[in-house]
Amino acid sequence: MPDFNISVREQNGVVIIDTDGYLNNVGGEIIASECYSQLDKGKKDFILNLEKSPVVNSIGVSIIIEIIEKLQDVNGSLSYFNLAPIVDKTFSIMGLTKYSTIYTNEAEALKNLT
Amino acid sequence: MPSSPEGKLHPDDKTNHYLSALAELGDILINEEQTSDATRSILRLMLGIIMAPEGAIFLYSEKSAVFYLLSKQGFDYTEPIPADKYLIQKLEYHGKDFLDRKKTERIKNKAFTDAAKDMNAKLIIPLFYRNNPLGVIFIGTKFMGESFTALDENVIRVISNHLVKSLHNSKLLSALDKKSNDLNLKLLEQQTLFDISVAISSVLDIDRLGDDILWRSVGVLNASKGIIATASENSPILNISSSFNWDAANVLLSRKLKIFKEIESSQLGTILVSGQKSTLQKKLDEEHIIVAPLRTKNNILGYMILCNKESRSGIEGFNQTDLELLTALCNQAAVALDNARLFKDITESKQFNESVLGSIATGVITLNELGEVDSINKAGRKILKMEEENILGNHYMFLFEKDDEILDLIQKTELNEKIQTELNISFLTVSEDTRINASVSPRADPEGGVQGLVLAIEDISDVSRVKNTFKRYVSKQVVDEILDDDTKLNLGGEEREITVLFSDIRGFTAMAESMDPESVVSTLNEHFSAMIDIVFKHNGTLDKIVGDQLMIVFGAPIAHQDDTERAISTAQEMQKMIKYINKDRIKRKEESVHIGIGINKGPAVSGNIGSRDRMDYTIIGDAVNLGARLCSAAGPDEILISKTVYSAVKEKISCKELEPINVKGKKEKIPVYRVL
Repeated sequence: MPDFNISVREQNGVVIIDTDGYLNNVGGEIIASECYSQLDKGKKDFILNLEKSPVVNSIGVSIIIEIIEKLQDVNGSLSYFNLAPIVDKTFSIMGLTKYSTIYTNEAEALKNLT
Repeated sequence: MPSSPEGKLHPDDKTNHYLSALAELGDILINEEQTSDATRSILRLMLGIIMAPEGAIFLYSEKSAVFYLLSKQGFDYTEPIPADKYLIQKLEYHGKDFLDRKKTERIKNKAFTDAAKDMNAKLIIPLFYRNNPLGVIFIGTKFMGESFTALDENVIRVISNHLVKSLHNSKLLSALDKKSNDLNLKLLEQQTLFDISVAISSVLDIDRLGDDILWRSVGVLNASKGIIATASENSPILNISSSFNWDAANVLLSRKLKIFKEIESSQLGTILVSGQKSTLQKKLDEEHIIVAPLRTKNNILGYMILCNKESRSGIEGFNQTDLELLTALCNQAAVALDNARLFKDITESKQFNESVLGSIATGVITLNELGEVDSINKAGRKILKMEEENILGNHYMFLFEKDDEILDLIQKTELNEKIQTELNISFLTVSEDTRINASVSPRADPEGGVQGLVLAIEDISDVSRVKNTFKRYVSKQVVDEILDDDTKLNLGGEEREITVLFSDIRGFTAMAESMDPESVVSTLNEHFSAMIDIVFKHNGTLDKIVGDQLMIVFGAPIAHQDDTERAISTAQEMQKMIKYINKDRIKRKEESVHIGIGINKGPAVSGNIGSRDRMDYTIIGDAVNLGARLCSAAGPDEILISKTVYSAVKEKISCKELEPINVKGKKEKIPVYRVL
């Protein structure tokens, strides 16, 4: 899977981004670009569906942290669901879970954000 | 800001002004989280107090050896200023006081002096925290060209000191953040190593394990992609068994590539950097590559190859720390993959063994160290006529309690740790009719010890029945020959060349009339027993016993080239035996017995002949009839043979041609010979 792709949808004002591919520098930048674009449109709450991104590296994590920082400035939030165990563990170790929330599934995430 | 009519501030106003500035400085230091925001505010505050419109703060980067612009006001200058260690030393030496343009000249650093000139800086304040350079402040001309007063310098000193403290704290926090991040990354590396070590004992699917290990390694090393290339015994081509983020499945990699040979020789991984132009770089079309062997104790299972270490600023080369981490990951991975591979081999081997054991006719029962059955193959269950669940876990003492011979066999093997075999023994565990060949051997463990026994049983009940049936008619050797290769046996009826021997006791009817019935029976039994032994000795087939007559066939059911010679030898030995028996009979004062023997050779039909209820294997035809006629014509102790027999044995056996004789059913007299 050499490419990183996203698809974006919206539910009750929450932007849900479904990712597909390695969440690295390239993947992180694509997500960040989409988040910032949506931020400019006034969206503040984002959920990443990482089901098809079973691998993440620290560069990808650092970009996610940057997104979280930007969202904090506008009282927004970033959440995730469908994390592979390796990704879940990486997010926890890298401290992402202090500033963002991991949900089991989309319904649970939406329930808590809307 | 209020001012006096002379343009000077009133002392109270000045005090308030500076107190307010001090309060603002405090607010800046407390509230601004970002260093750049804080320095911008401090610079603005400082320039406002001393009434200078232009100023800039440059931060020192030890890594890049430059001062780079952090905040500026008024100045256009933005270029980084090279800052080698000599400049830093001079700034530290001269920087206790403010530097003005004149003092700057003394530093004798062109780049720094030029930068100060470009900015038209009037005051330069080096920022040091103890001996550590943090940055430098450039301040331009004071408003309306006034000179800086001592008060201005004091203000600058106070604010600079706060700025130094702020920058130092920021640097500490930044270092702390970096340390924290590094620690998290280290923790992630440790966790990855731990996860792989857990996988060693939990994941045994070799393909899934390979993918899992590769994914973790790519992620933890910030590589953009990776493959695992595994070696096979019979081919120099490495198989791309796992790939991540890479369409490299069709890359042809050979173990004979120089890089792999070097790794094989040194047992160490390697880093390829931009500009090296190795074959691997060309093949993969990548510049930054790190390779580590998947090394077990004895050999290299393959290689993990990762490409392109990512950073926020782009791709960079892998370093020695990366190689050490990848080597550690690969060492763990190799153990895990080797375990998975061994498990796969064992599973396949087990399936193969089960398949072999399931397909053979011999029953194989394995006993553990406690003597309990821990496995039995399909044939074993069939022979025992029992369901598997009634056999497994059962102790052999209970399972074979009726069969002392088997228990004895097992116990002997337990004691001697040597293979014990018993042939053709009864197997009462199943039935009184069941007969088996049994063999018990010790089960060797890899250390050479014994970890139980293997009992092999072969059901020979059918063979035994055949033997019991046939042995009444043919010798053991013929039975074995038939059982070994039943294609030789045709019981369905065929014409074949046979040699037939008839013998009967001369004058037995008259003799029997003078004997009591028991003596008749015992005489016949003694006679037939001795004669049949001789027949079987020469592999003849006992076709019939009618009264005192024996019909013996050579060449059916199995033909041999020397059938006729063996028939003659049988007849001669029978006559010899009669003489021997007669000596005993004379001693016992019993009447001596004499037999006549006739032998003929010719075509006859052999097969199972009879009714549906009773069917016997026999021979019929003219050749048989003539044999019987020759027997009738033979005198006591005489062996008569036909011309066909004579023609077959005349070179080896002495015979005398007699007068042709008339026989029933033949118009012409037939030639006849006596064996001498």
